Amino acid sequence: MTRVRVTAPRRVTTGAGPVASGTGPAGSGTAGSGAGSAAGSGRGRAAAEARRAAEETDAGQVFVRALIRSQLRLGIVVAAGFLLIMLGFALLLGLVPGLAELRIAGLPFDWVLLGAGIYPVIGLSAWLYIRTAARNEARYRDLAGER
Amino acid sequence: MNPVVGVAAFAAVTLATAVIGFYGLRISRTTGDFYVASRTVRPWWNASAIGGEYLSAASFLGVAGLILLSGTDALWYPVGYTAGYLMLLLFVAAPLRRSGAYTIPDFTEARLESRAVRRVTSLVVVMVGWLYIVPQLHGAALAIRITTGLPAWVGQVAVIAVVCVTVMAGGMRSITFVQAFQYWLKLTALAVPLLFLLLVLAGTGTPAVAEAPVNPTGLPPAGPYQNISLLVALLFGTLGLPHVLVRFYTNPDGQSARRTTLIVLGLLSVFYLFPTAYGLIGRVFAPGAAGAGQADALVLLLPGRMIGGLAGDLLSALVVAGAFAAFLSTTSGLVVSLAGVISQDILGGSVRGFRLAALFSAVVPLGIAATTDSTALAGSVGLVFAFTASTICPVLLLGIWWRGLTDAGAIAGMLTGALACGGSMLAGAVLGAAGTPSWLAQPAAWTVPAAFAVMVLVSRATRDRVPRSITRLMTRLHTPERPLVTER
Repeated sequence: MTRVRVTAPRRVTTGAGPVASGTGPAGSGTAGSGAGSAAGSGRGRAAAEARRAAEETDAGQVFVRALIRSQLRLGIVVAAGFLLIMLGFALLLGLVPGLAELRIAGLPFDWVLLGAGIYPVIGLSAWLYIRTAARNEARYRDLAGER
Repeated sequence: MNPVVGVAAFAAVTLATAVIGFYGLRISRTTGDFYVASRTVRPWWNASAIGGEYLSAASFLGVAGLILLSGTDALWYPVGYTAGYLMLLLFVAAPLRRSGAYTIPDFTEARLESRAVRRVTSLVVVMVGWLYIVPQLHGAALAIRITTGLPAWVGQVAVIAVVCVTVMAGGMRSITFVQAFQYWLKLTALAVPLLFLLLVLAGTGTPAVAEAPVNPTGLPPAGPYQNISLLVALLFGTLGLPHVLVRFYTNPDGQSARRTTLIVLGLLSVFYLFPTAYGLIGRVFAPGAAGAGQADALVLLLPGRMIGGLAGDLLSALVVAGAFAAFLSTTSGLVVSLAGVISQDILGGSVRGFRLAALFSAVVPLGIAATTDSTALAGSVGLVFAFTASTICPVLLLGIWWRGLTDAGAIAGMLTGALACGGSMLAGAVLGAAGTPSWLAQPAAWTVPAAFAVMVLVSRATRDRVPRSITRLMTRLHTPERPLVTER
């Protein structure tokens, strides 16, 4: 099978070089998919153009700003939710008398709540965030035509 | 405790570290390998390594010690240490990875297009690193004194020597393997003895924690201000820790940086159950350990005290090994990230410069630790978190999410936070634990907002200094990478 090699401009995505001061060999990781198969390079070029459009055109920036806003809102909502739950735990222990005398499997209730009960809440918040953040990005890709 | 146990445990950990480190040496050859392992580390490896690096003396020894001393108030420490990663995930992980920078100064320089900001950030990062290494060395001194009876400085010098050799030999790549191994070692070292402790407690027919936990010190519980201030420090301090952030550059892309963080959260949640259990057992069955001023050694003493005999010695050896793994892994992680910063700023970023910088960044805190006295480990690490929360955290958060940040604002804010928080730490050290008012003992609740406020106000006043590349930068930070796998 003969391989047709479409040469995509290798560093077109990075514009004026990587964001970093560029001291290392690894670059920003977005440049250079040109060595792959023909289909890969073609898609790479389309994506590169989409990113350039996102950076340089007003329409592209509308999508980018919308993405940033939705990710920030998501982060703040999840953080606030988690902090509220934590505050609830603290208030529960502080305001309801007698809870500290309660035993769960022989262990004091306040120890179980603070020492073990908070961790599942943290994990769940993180999992929800990751799912929604990835969905926001997928929607951005659809809108910006980065396919 | 049998002194042979401590020495043997330390030797075994050192040997394992060296073997894994040299295995890494064979496969790390380029500058990229040295700094960020060429960004080819898988999420599970990376997450284990982050866990290994993050769980320091404060987590392994300090949390249980503090729980022994102050009960449920101290439970906020492990919660805060873990929840800090949630904040990191929500606001920093993916954009920071997408910035493509190697270190925090790289990021701030690129974001604000200013060498001056870079220099100030580097200075802050180096201070944070040194402040954080010192408690690790205090922990090493305590462990070596308790377990072997040797003078305290032996432990500190041994830790620094091992760290220097591994870091200078292998850089980040070998460190990744070492750190990942050390997470699992630390977990085992707490889990296995705990299992035996519980068996012993069940076997002797001790009523399973029927009586209320004792308060061995008789100290009053902390007020709401202290708990809130502590949580502010821990939640926002984690996302500014240099040795944690450098790990995020080793992820292939933003989405995998998020996945890594999720795994880290799981690993930390599991880990912190164990120090909590030790603290509770200590509070119920060995409250006397708090009296001798050795509360931080509770984890080390408990197996020998409650089990005894050969089994007790073996379990003690395991715990001691875990403790040294904690000192070694956190210290080497910090030394790697400090060496990255120092060598890029002063020594030109070569592999030789990295090695020199590693030596330098390890020896200075050794000097500080040797001339200062250890206080409660979890507490002194908590103060370091307050410091990062008041300096690096605002510049990262505003840099990632707010287009209006300027170089002048960033510098003013970082200096405000550093002076306010550093001043409080100094004042606290001078006044002593008893004489320090709580707003100085836990300064984060006012220093963090102050740093944010100064940063925003000065940026607003110097609006014309917003870099012109801001649009391109924000696009890069927040848009997903190309959907193709571009790194093989």
